[in-house]
Amino acid sequence: MMEKMIFGRYLPMESFVHRMDPRAKLVVITLFIGVIFLANNLLTYGILVLFTFASIFASKIPIKFLLNGLSFLFWIILFTFFLHIFFTREGDVIFTFGWIKIYEHGLQQAIFISLRFFLLVLITSLLTLTTSPIDITDGMESLLNPLKKLRFPVHELALMMSIALRFIPTLMDETDKILKAQMARGVNFSEGSLKKRAQSVVPLLIPLFISAFKRAEELAIAMEARGYRGGEGRTKYRLLKWKGMDTLAALLVILLGGLLYVFRS
Amino acid sequence: MKKLNIKAFVSIGMLSAVAFVLMLLDFPLPMFPSFLKIDFSDIPALIAAIIMGPMAGVLVELFKNLLDLLTTGSVTGIPVGHIANFVTGVIFILPTYYIYKKIKSQKGLTIALIAGTLITAIMMSVLNYFVFLPMYAVFMNYEVPSEWVVSFILPFNILKGIMMSIVFLILFVKMQNWISKQQSSFNRL
Repeated sequence: MMEKMIFGRYLPMESFVHRMDPRAKLVVITLFIGVIFLANNLLTYGILVLFTFASIFASKIPIKFLLNGLSFLFWIILFTFFLHIFFTREGDVIFTFGWIKIYEHGLQQAIFISLRFFLLVLITSLLTLTTSPIDITDGMESLLNPLKKLRFPVHELALMMSIALRFIPTLMDETDKILKAQMARGVNFSEGSLKKRAQSVVPLLIPLFISAFKRAEELAIAMEARGYRGGEGRTKYRLLKWKGMDTLAALLVILLGGLLYVFRS
Repeated sequence: MKKLNIKAFVSIGMLSAVAFVLMLLDFPLPMFPSFLKIDFSDIPALIAAIIMGPMAGVLVELFKNLLDLLTTGSVTGIPVGHIANFVTGVIFILPTYYIYKKIKSQKGLTIALIAGTLITAIMMSVLNYFVFLPMYAVFMNYEVPSEWVVSFILPFNILKGIMMSIVFLILFVKMQNWISKQQSSFNRL
């Protein structure tokens, strides 16, 4: 049951995007999400497509891999595409077939909006494909650091997140073992009425909770024994380094925003 | 958060990981659209709330969604689904926790879970109508007909709440001693 779920989608490779600082990637994506809504004509959408595919090219992620798992999305895009084609009734009629009338504006809307959505998804999946979850966590912690002044527990939240990330594979193995042990005793997890399903999950949950708390206690004792005392003055094992290329990437997105602003109609 | 409580931090992290794993074992219900799926990842959050206080429960809900977002990414670019899941979870566990705190017994828990289910179902119908479905429309351009709130989202949340309640009640009866032992070993957040 669990084998088919590869943990995360991160693809460790060697590329420009992989080497970027996770903070830079987070900043770039946030800016990109804001910028993408500026596009409203052929030229601006062209620039966006160019930017997106240049980023994908720079990440060396095979495009086939990127599109994999987006099949669910494909249907939504298709659905909204036709919704816009048939129900936007503005501009000139460019195509008539029986009762179906396609309007110029409708076709344009359909293409642009589907494209915007598609590009948004491509760029955000690029983040999870090129950055390991622990790096994203570190990046977020570092970006949220100024909030510490407002007594927002940034370090503690990042610590909990890192612990969760560290133990997901362990707990997955354990869940798998428990599932198999229960299935060997004749429990059916994937069929049956809702009530049966609710009952069958209890023997999975109890051992999971007990072992999670046991592990937590052991880890807490180990941390205390090693003198863990919170984030203050603590040095880091994984250091984030903001390099020239990170500034370059951030500038590129700002440039993209500028271009879209100038050329939008 | 008061004193630095390492054990609570570590336990919250661990329960978030459990919730994340349970989230992977989700399944759709027959007759409902595929984006409405049932999983049991609210149970660890509820356990966290009862053992370590309401804040812990909210954190487990938060981390569970954040983990899912970081590892699998969001199919919509902007994580509307994750935000909705987080809000649903919080709306379910907080009323349940506060009612249970007033009446600390099995009967109290049953009342709390029923109330939690009803509050979640009503609140989520309202929120879906005014916030989440319009958000889907804006970000994904996926127009969900608003009649779905009554025909799918309301019954879905009631069904989900009932399933959570059944599982949690069975769990609570079986683990009562263990839970009260854990409760006494934490400074409450």
